[in-house]
Amino acid sequence: MSEGDIRLVGLVKRFGDAVAVNGIDLHVTPGEFFTMLGPSGCGKTTTLRLIAGFERPTEGKILLDGNDMSRTPPHKRRVNTVFQSYALFPHKSVYDNVAFGLRYQRVTKAEVKRRVGEAMALVRLEEFGQRRPSQLSGGQQQRVALARALVLEPPVLLLDEPLGALDARLRIDLQVELKRIQEQLEVTFIYVTHDQDEALTMSDRVAVMRAGNIEQCDEPRVLYETPATAFVANFLGASNLVPVAVGQSHGDGTPLSLGSFDLRAENCPLGHGEDAVAMIRPENVRLEPHGTTGENRVPGMVEEVVYLGFHQEVRVRLANGTLVKVDVPNDDEQAELEQGDPVCVHLPARHLRVLAADAAVPSAPAAEEPVVAA
Amino acid sequence: MSATSVETAATKERVSLRDRLANPWGRPRFLAIVTWVYIIWSLVPVLLAIRFAFNSGRSRTSLQGWSLRWFWQDPTLSVFHDPTLQSALTHSLELALIVMAIATPLGTALALGMRRWIGPGSGIANIVLLLPLVTPELVFAVGMFLLFTTAFGFIGLGTTAQAIGQVTFTLSWVVLIVRGRLATIGRDVEEAAADLGAPPLHVVGRVLLPLLVPAMAASLLVSFALSIDDFVVSQYLASGADTTTVPMRIYSQARGGPTPALNALATIMLGFTLFALALAYFVYQMMTRGETKESAVKTLAMEMG
Repeated sequence: MSEGDIRLVGLVKRFGDAVAVNGIDLHVTPGEFFTMLGPSGCGKTTTLRLIAGFERPTEGKILLDGNDMSRTPPHKRRVNTVFQSYALFPHKSVYDNVAFGLRYQRVTKAEVKRRVGEAMALVRLEEFGQRRPSQLSGGQQQRVALARALVLEPPVLLLDEPLGALDARLRIDLQVELKRIQEQLEVTFIYVTHDQDEALTMSDRVAVMRAGNIEQCDEPRVLYETPATAFVANFLGASNLVPVAVGQSHGDGTPLSLGSFDLRAENCPLGHGEDAVAMIRPENVRLEPHGTTGENRVPGMVEEVVYLGFHQEVRVRLANGTLVKVDVPNDDEQAELEQGDPVCVHLPARHLRVLAADAAVPSAPAAEEPVVAA
Repeated sequence: MSATSVETAATKERVSLRDRLANPWGRPRFLAIVTWVYIIWSLVPVLLAIRFAFNSGRSRTSLQGWSLRWFWQDPTLSVFHDPTLQSALTHSLELALIVMAIATPLGTALALGMRRWIGPGSGIANIVLLLPLVTPELVFAVGMFLLFTTAFGFIGLGTTAQAIGQVTFTLSWVVLIVRGRLATIGRDVEEAAADLGAPPLHVVGRVLLPLLVPAMAASLLVSFALSIDDFVVSQYLASGADTTTVPMRIYSQARGGPTPALNALATIMLGFTLFALALAYFVYQMMTRGETKESAVKTLAMEMG
């Protein structure tokens, strides 16, 4: 477990004038399932390619177990990559694909055979050794790619959107499989994806990236429940971002004003008068009968009800014009809501998170959103 | 062919003329007719030339029965017995083999190099490399002639000059073909190979070259066809009777007493070309077995044309 420690120090990559990676510092511990998450163009893939050695960093260091390998060519780095396109060798059989890299590790023929067999068993493809990659399905091909990398027993495995080309059902199966393999082998996984579900379900820690920087890096639960910025809140899961004005804090939380309504947040990192948005997850918003009074209650009107199977999303237009999404479970206990129904929206103080407003992240749409005729 | 069966079925239902001519759901008959007319039009001269190669008389315009006289039966005038025709044939084949053997590996290496070379000058080099494809061959040949009679006088005219000349313009085609294939292979497999520990030479040897075999087969075929077909460059850089190629011989004999032996000679060349084409197709099929039919056909089409 001592192997597979990756440390990025001030890593910068520029392509001409374009900055792809803008000074990243990161420490991935041995055996960790670490995910880099972000929209396309945020620098996550470039960072991975820098670690793999396909790109040369403009500045900074890449340390594997304490040794700087930023000037080591890819074929001498003890990290292996699984590509989104699988990148299998079409002219070689599955067996030869998996055995490809063993040629560069001093191992006997018998050892090659044993290790290839083990790797194929690990990804449950024992039967397919003599097939050509093109005779396998997409999911099977990606498992071959995985076996081909893992057979070399790298301390760190890099995965570049490995499930990106697969359909949704298969993706979920392979997520479970990847996690199982990672836990079984105790290999450090550095996983790049733009899919938040993948990031949340598999990772020990997630770094949310934006424009070449790490926006926030923490465990999935922390990222989801206490996002540090509006960008993270918006990117990870559904969220309501309501523009508010921050009042003077007192012992019992911070007063916020949403238009003419007063709210209270238990925790507020921002000072009085700052531009802010209050973030609340749709599943934490409560719908109460019209006329209910109390703290953090705002009247509104149901604008749209979207049926989503196990729950429904109710979009409520608050009295000040802000649109709030509410997740309501379909469990027979909730009264049927219809478009135009007046309701009272409860935004519990302990679930309200006050974040700095971010011009690039759209907050809850105001009244100009097309309103369906009542 | 299959259009007739549709027609017989259709007449039973008394389809109006208008429907038959312009039925948007029917077969595109008009297009089929145009295509077949073109195919027949382009094949007729070739078939005629082949037909006269088997003429038993001396005429190249009137049919006089069938024979193999002009291939080898005639003791003095057949391709097999006429030393000038024989030497033209061997020289053409010899030249084609030399050109194939040099242009294909050199062009492959160039294409691989161009792929790696990203930076100032690479864009211009890319264009210059493909320039011979559009340069008028006559201009190119005259330039080559000047070169081999002055600056490269030590080489002089002859087989070497002809080979160099043909390699020079064939190279562009090879680069074009190999580059097309490289584009479909993609960079991922190269990176994957390096990632798995293969040093740069092994990436080329174990991954790229095997994947390039189909493109190289196509290149061999194209250089063979270009070389055998070449007239202008061979003519300008020839040094005498022993460097006369088949096209040169056919051209010069066309004026003074042509016999069907010329047709026989051309037929033999056509036979070689068809054989090469079949061989290249076979190799391509073998080597791209692992890939989907569709993509293989697509790349072959791209590489051939």
